[in-house]
Amino acid sequence: MRVRDAIRKNPQMLPSSATVGDAARLMDEAGVGAVIVADEGVPVGIVTDRDLVLRALAREVPPDARLDAVMSLGVVCIDADRDLHDAVLLFSTYPFRRLPVVAGHVVIGMITVDDLLVDLIGDLANVTRGLTAQVLFGHAEPRPPVPA
Amino acid sequence: MRARAGDRLMIKGHHVGEAERHGVVVEARGADGAPPWVVRWEDSDHEVLFFPGPDAIVEHPQPATS
Repeated sequence: MRVRDAIRKNPQMLPSSATVGDAARLMDEAGVGAVIVADEGVPVGIVTDRDLVLRALAREVPPDARLDAVMSLGVVCIDADRDLHDAVLLFSTYPFRRLPVVAGHVVIGMITVDDLLVDLIGDLANVTRGLTAQVLFGHAEPRPPVPA
Repeated sequence: MRARAGDRLMIKGHHVGEAERHGVVVEARGADGAPPWVVRWEDSDHEVLFFPGPDAIVEHPQPATS
């Protein structure tokens, strides 16, 4: 499975001159937990809901503060045509849960650890379907006919 | 910010005790050397596709002179 096939949501972007409040509202409206900070279309950082809590709320940074005051600098991405296992490797190597997906030089989506877990659980359900019948509706093997 | 294959990339630490991170640009995917760049980090030898932040410094290796 390719990374592009695992994308569920469009990337949400704001310029670094946007505010902490703008990011919180965008996360709320789009139902996402991370916003890519991009200047003139080129990503320069990323801010997550956790960043808003720990770097803004906990430090009493006002909602009208610039987003670049709380973002993580630099954005590690993955090519859309890479195998999904490469994304798993990145998640196991770096301490983040969200990974922007790039086609050429354009960010086309975001994949998350949560997405991978949902896919994995779905796959497990398919794999165990045959076992489920045996577990829930177990029955004895039919006995061979007894010769007369 | 522009780079080409072979350029060195340095990311400064942001907190006390946080080490600088060094890497080499393997490939520039954007037009005329613009990001994203494929970067190989020196500490892990791991390659990633990377959009640098404003804290990144690109060092262009000097051509050898005789």
